[in-house]
Amino acid sequence: MSDARETILARLASARPPTAPAPAAMAPPPNVLDPIETLREHLTEAGGSFQIAARGDWPNQIEWPEALSTMEHVYSTLADPETRGVGRTAVFDHELARLDLCVIRGEFAVVENGAVWHVPESARERSAALLAQHLVVVVEESQLVPTLHQAYDRIDLAKTTFGWFLCGPSKTADIEQSLVLGAHGPCTMSLVLTRDGPALSGTAR
Amino acid sequence: MGHVDRARAFVADADRTQWHDQALWFVRTKRDRAADRVPDWEALRQQAAAIKRNALGRLPELWTEFESNAVAAGAVVHWARDAREHNEIIAGLLHERGIERLVKSKSMLTEECGLNPFLEAQAIEVIDTDLGERIVQLRHEPPSHIVMPAIHLRRGEIGELFAKEMGSPPGLEDPVELTAVARRNLRKHFLSAEAGLTGVNFAIAETGSFVVVTNEGNADLGTALPNLHIASVGLEKILPRQGDLAPFLRLLARSATGQAITTYTSHFRGPRPASEGHSPTQANPALHIVIVDNGRSQLLAQPDFREALACIRCGACLNTCPVYRRSGGHSYEATIPGPIGSVLEPSRDPTRHAELPHACTLCGSCTEICPVQIPLHHQLLAWRGRLAEGGQHSRRRRWALYLVGTLFMWPPAYRFLGWSARAIARVFPSRLLEAALAPWTRGRALPAIPKRSFRTLYRDRHRQAAREADNGGREG
Repeated sequence: MSDARETILARLASARPPTAPAPAAMAPPPNVLDPIETLREHLTEAGGSFQIAARGDWPNQIEWPEALSTMEHVYSTLADPETRGVGRTAVFDHELARLDLCVIRGEFAVVENGAVWHVPESARERSAALLAQHLVVVVEESQLVPTLHQAYDRIDLAKTTFGWFLCGPSKTADIEQSLVLGAHGPCTMSLVLTRDGPALSGTAR
Repeated sequence: MGHVDRARAFVADADRTQWHDQALWFVRTKRDRAADRVPDWEALRQQAAAIKRNALGRLPELWTEFESNAVAAGAVVHWARDAREHNEIIAGLLHERGIERLVKSKSMLTEECGLNPFLEAQAIEVIDTDLGERIVQLRHEPPSHIVMPAIHLRRGEIGELFAKEMGSPPGLEDPVELTAVARRNLRKHFLSAEAGLTGVNFAIAETGSFVVVTNEGNADLGTALPNLHIASVGLEKILPRQGDLAPFLRLLARSATGQAITTYTSHFRGPRPASEGHSPTQANPALHIVIVDNGRSQLLAQPDFREALACIRCGACLNTCPVYRRSGGHSYEATIPGPIGSVLEPSRDPTRHAELPHACTLCGSCTEICPVQIPLHHQLLAWRGRLAEGGQHSRRRRWALYLVGTLFMWPPAYRFLGWSARAIARVFPSRLLEAALAPWTRGRALPAIPKRSFRTLYRDRHRQAAREADNGGREG
């Protein structure tokens, strides 16, 4: 068994095809005219919901999948909304299966496909984003990249134990090709772009 | 029994065949719309093909680079020469830890290696977690498509299966309700799993990372909670740099399902950090990567076919193939059906898969659509020649090819046969002819038989043109 490595490397060396040069990195395509609209289109096609809100007051401004006050179990990496229920008390990540809501901050969003790049700070954060019924990802409006080419310019995989692009809720079309949202992970996913703006006064939560 | 005989069983159900054909064509049109929205689509295909060509020329260097980077990140790397070694390594990892159940996300490589039956024979239960794969696993069948494993089934059949296997009410046919049943059932498995296995879509040499894409989130759920993550990767999956992911990920989901990107595109490097909770299944996270040859180095040695190693398993060539769409994946009796499977499988076992390169009309649609520009229909044609030389064709095909070959090499015989066919067609009623030509005329009308052959038409037209040119010359 231990010489499997040497055997395989030797086989590959003896079967080596003629050398072909590594291509130069390709120039990304021209930027779209309306990045926000394109992002919205892609995310909603993926079954996600797209909202824009003021940075300081976004939890009051957006439409939540269920009324925020009625969601008992919340895991949030942001100060507002606060973590509560099993999000706070869970000893094992497995208990996060009862989460109603998970709120995380994404680093940036990709206009050409509607995906958000997110690097969980802990294994628990990743589990929460998978096990919660509803997922809300908050991204600064200034943090948009046109395509995956620019996305990978910003990412350093050598320093990333785990990172992912997220686009919409988990889904499947394995039964007769009909699209069903909520396969194994979240049943809804909202992307909230936050920007400078006035707070709404007197909005009920 | 060849592809044609097995396809007969599938097409016997005309409704199913038509549904299958149209469902896959619908996916193909979604792919077209997605590709049309990308202004640099053709440049992307070229870029991806060039990256793969370069990588295939540097496999020993890239894999050793990957290995040292993955090990530096805390992963354990294993090498498997063939399916058996792959399966033994995985069984060993599970036995060592006393693990008796494995949750598995979609991996065509483990299908190819026959991992499930191997582990089951050693009393290890395997739970396929991709919904389509779970469905075919419970039916004791292989996937019929590499991206949509249960595309050959109708909702009623799945409702029946779930009633039997998951205790859902009989008669359930709504995909939303059926998916909810499977979600509840598989959640239990995710939450109790001690080990998760994933395939790998792309491995990155310069960082030791690998990428797994899913829509369902099953690869992520299967690896987020248990201690042990096993990743099986074929030798062809390596890319040199992280930036190479951009063209491939821009192509993959659009080609596969017409999505701009899948829901989850997860990048793993080393085992995950131990979780705050330290539940017994989470205290000691470990990542084991199994690098598998199983015939890939042999394919690399064949100049005519090595480009097939660039395949990213998007399934676009299956969706567009007129033969695949109308014969169903099981008719190929191969791990990977459709055009790419018909190229890959004969290199594994030419005698067993000798019919597959003939399950093709050489229409070239697969080559047109392939995101990494594999010349699929040229390779299928090349396989036919190779199989003829190797004597792997069935006796019937050898005789047929011999007769046609002789006819083509002997023009008087060819002309005589054409003349007699036209003469016979004039005399006999078309009903009788159609019966005589069955099965070709099943579902097709016989075209009107021309009075004169192409050859005479061509000759006369040529003469006519020459005469006119002559006259013109004289007048001028």
